[in-house]
Amino acid sequence: MQVGQQVTGRTYPADRLARIVFLMCAILLIAVLVGVFLFIGTNAFRVFSEGANVKDFFFGTYWDPSGNTTVSGNPSFQAGGLILGSIVITFFSVLIATPLAFGMALFFTELSPRWLVRLLQPLIEVFTGMPSVVVGFFGLIIIIPLLQRLVGPLVGNGQTAGYGWGAAILVLLIMILPTIISISIDALRAVPGSVREASLALGSTRWQMMTRAVIPAATTGLATAVVLGMARAIGETLAVSLVLDGQQLPKKLFTPAVFFQPNVNITQYIAIDFPETLGVGRDAYWTLAFILLVISFLFVCLSRYLASRSVYR
Amino acid sequence: MSMQQTAQTSLAGSTRLAEQQRLVRRLKLGNAVGTGTLCGIGILVALLFVGIIVYLLLQGSAYLFLPEFYSTGPIGIRPEIYNTFYILILAEIISLPIALAAAIYLIEYARQGVFVTTIHFAAETLAGVPSIVLGLFGVLAFSIYAHLGTSRAAGALTLLCLNFPLALRLFEDALATVPREMREGGLALGATRWHMIRTVVIPSALPGIVTAVILTAGKIIGEAAALLFTMGLNNPSDVFTLSPFIASDTLTTHLYYVAGPGAGSTGLTTAQETAITAGSATLLIVLLLIINVAARGLGRAIQRRVTAA
Repeated sequence: MQVGQQVTGRTYPADRLARIVFLMCAILLIAVLVGVFLFIGTNAFRVFSEGANVKDFFFGTYWDPSGNTTVSGNPSFQAGGLILGSIVITFFSVLIATPLAFGMALFFTELSPRWLVRLLQPLIEVFTGMPSVVVGFFGLIIIIPLLQRLVGPLVGNGQTAGYGWGAAILVLLIMILPTIISISIDALRAVPGSVREASLALGSTRWQMMTRAVIPAATTGLATAVVLGMARAIGETLAVSLVLDGQQLPKKLFTPAVFFQPNVNITQYIAIDFPETLGVGRDAYWTLAFILLVISFLFVCLSRYLASRSVYR
Repeated sequence: MSMQQTAQTSLAGSTRLAEQQRLVRRLKLGNAVGTGTLCGIGILVALLFVGIIVYLLLQGSAYLFLPEFYSTGPIGIRPEIYNTFYILILAEIISLPIALAAAIYLIEYARQGVFVTTIHFAAETLAGVPSIVLGLFGVLAFSIYAHLGTSRAAGALTLLCLNFPLALRLFEDALATVPREMREGGLALGATRWHMIRTVVIPSALPGIVTAVILTAGKIIGEAAALLFTMGLNNPSDVFTLSPFIASDTLTTHLYYVAGPGAGSTGLTTAQETAITAGSATLLIVLLLIINVAARGLGRAIQRRVTAA
């Protein structure tokens, strides 16, 4: 090192400069993340000092931050309906997607012939990168007319029947299926072949081998897939926003019809209403964004915790 | 006595045999049902995917052959196509060097430890932040605090934040494929680290780097939520300029606006709106397919050139 420095001393400054530049770029990533939390976080709590009540914000159900439709003309910061909407569509879409995705991933890794794998791999990759607005458009021209015909009589409000949570759940299903499938495939592939061979050598059938040996060995990886699917579902915006089309949470919540009439969630309201709202109303949207940020952060932490516990990677 | 015993054992044997046969039958049936269900699900999901892609390709394909579709007329989306590629190039110019530099630091310089773990954790967290939230962050950080307003520059910087984690991971993977011996060979010849990286690591990692660039391009072309508020939904009259300080819409945001909040209020007939939305959706799918094919083909082609040379 000493000798090297003496001989090539002239080239070292460039080397050191390059190193510092690279380090800066790596640190920029942390800076961006801190910036996201800092900027949105510092703006998130302002709405509570401007007349919003914390309890009403989370449990009230009338959302109108610009006060255009309230009787008094005062803004109404009650995001309970929005939060409920996000939770419901995320929960149901993940609930439906998970068995389908696991089935597909098992088929892909354990049963499918080579040539089919080679066909399916690019298909799943293309679908993972599907623009969300295109999926939303698909929902708008296929899923909604279909639901309208199926459940129109049940809801009975003609034109708008079909929009709502049900359509959003189906659209989200299309969005998160490829995500969960591809991460599940990685998790199943990480299980070494010896586990499968040992199970088969003990006389299990293929099905026993999958359910008793492969799936237990890949549990944490599969759980990570579901958590990341949830994270994607809760933040999905445009696809969901196109098929929700609601203003407020419907009055009657506990009927099946609630899934098939215009409804709300967090991201839809941000996408539709944020540009048209100014002042105090806009502050309410930073709070909603912060809620999404915290939820997605928790999901990432959970997925990291699960990944750290997995045996095979 | 002994006869009786033999009869008993043979009886027990036959019941045991029958039991075993029942067990085997049950297991075989379970296996058949289980694998059958999996095959069913696999084929169903695959058909669903194929069906959606084929449907989206076909439903708007007629518009792709209309000259008016590429004009600046009522159903023309020439400004949106221009903006999409403009923002793609601008965002890649900003984000690729930064992401590549960060990846080089992590792979070539940093020791495994707290710093690398922190960066990876930050990258994962940032990748998990919903793009609409990043869009709002972009409004705060770039449009308001940096006084860029609703502009292409603000959009490109927001895309940097959105794309950074993905680009970093892909670049890291590309650099990690370069064998250790090549680095050691370079260093043993007396090259400095940076010289070695320039002349040894990056050329050998080129196929992976190109693939990474193409994949991030796909993400940028399909992105809309992060650009809604940072780049706006309207085009000024001087849309076909290189100025990064004007607002503009892209294929995705335009499709969203015409199909969603703007439907019925764009001043167009329903047929014209359908032309725009259906055509744009098909065009986006075509671009996506081209990008995927290119990501596979180009990386491999470069690898062949590099390894042959």
